[in-house]
Amino acid sequence: MADVTYLDVGRLNGDAALEADVALAMDEDAFRAFYDRTAGPLWAYLSRVSGNRQLADDLLQEAYYRLLKSHAAFENDAHRRNYLYRIATNLVHDAKRGARPVFDEGVEIAGIPAAEGSASPEQRTDVRRALGRLKPRERAMLWLAYAQGSSHSEIAAALGVKTGSIKLLLFRARRKLARLLEVRP
Amino acid sequence: MTQFTDEQIEAIVAEAMTAEASVARTEAAPPSAAIVWWRAQMRARREAAQLADKPIAIVHALAIACGGGLTLALVGIVIAAVRGSVGWLTDIYASTASLVTTLAASDLSSRWITLPLTAMLVSVVIASIAAVFVLRDE
Repeated sequence: MADVTYLDVGRLNGDAALEADVALAMDEDAFRAFYDRTAGPLWAYLSRVSGNRQLADDLLQEAYYRLLKSHAAFENDAHRRNYLYRIATNLVHDAKRGARPVFDEGVEIAGIPAAEGSASPEQRTDVRRALGRLKPRERAMLWLAYAQGSSHSEIAAALGVKTGSIKLLLFRARRKLARLLEVRP
Repeated sequence: MTQFTDEQIEAIVAEAMTAEASVARTEAAPPSAAIVWWRAQMRARREAAQLADKPIAIVHALAIACGGGLTLALVGIVIAAVRGSVGWLTDIYASTASLVTTLAASDLSSRWITLPLTAMLVSVVIASIAAVFVLRDE
């Protein structure tokens, strides 16, 4: 039998510690089910709030990774989803403070290539230009409220603001967007 | 903007956002759950390995720093001892005697002696502790 050196012992201990550290907050099947339900809407949220599809791809992966590493106790699926959106919102906020040049007054978000849809290309461009001129939090709020049909408490949880403030903030954001949509460049 | 009522504003925004949401749904092409899961696993393993290596790297760096300090301290003592002595290269015995004599006769309060000696003692203590950390089994 080969001698076991202190390095081998250290490596063995290290592997055990490694397994403990690698353990993620969900098992693979549960993660897949949750991901399949939430990834599409979350990507849409990230792409529209950040105004950058490439960034949305990166932030999506990062958001799920942080969720998996969080080991937070969730009461239900909705609680987990709100937590995921909170992570995503913070990531967009951090990206805004970082070196990546997004949120350039609508330049990026207006530059997202338009896919085929019911609205005309001119209308889609107008909406994106208007969205791009909103603050990220206003974009996030309107997106959650209208595109995803989130309740005030869900929006509050995702954005980290008081539920009581949402009504007023949403009102202001709505008026601002309507004003921007009304004034064509 | 003053022409619109709150209901009209609500309708304008709702229509715009709903249209944009339907476009976004068609654009959304996130990677598969399997890929995201696999990347998360790989990243968690890498970060755990980095975390496990960190204390060892710190102890190694500490031991190397102490070794360097010890060497410098010894060099400092030797230089201090042989300062002023001539011909030590030609007569190693005389030089050694000179070193011992100089050390014995030197004023221990002199900074040329006390600083290197203190550095040496501190280095020996820290290096011993570092060695214990490196060589221990757990």
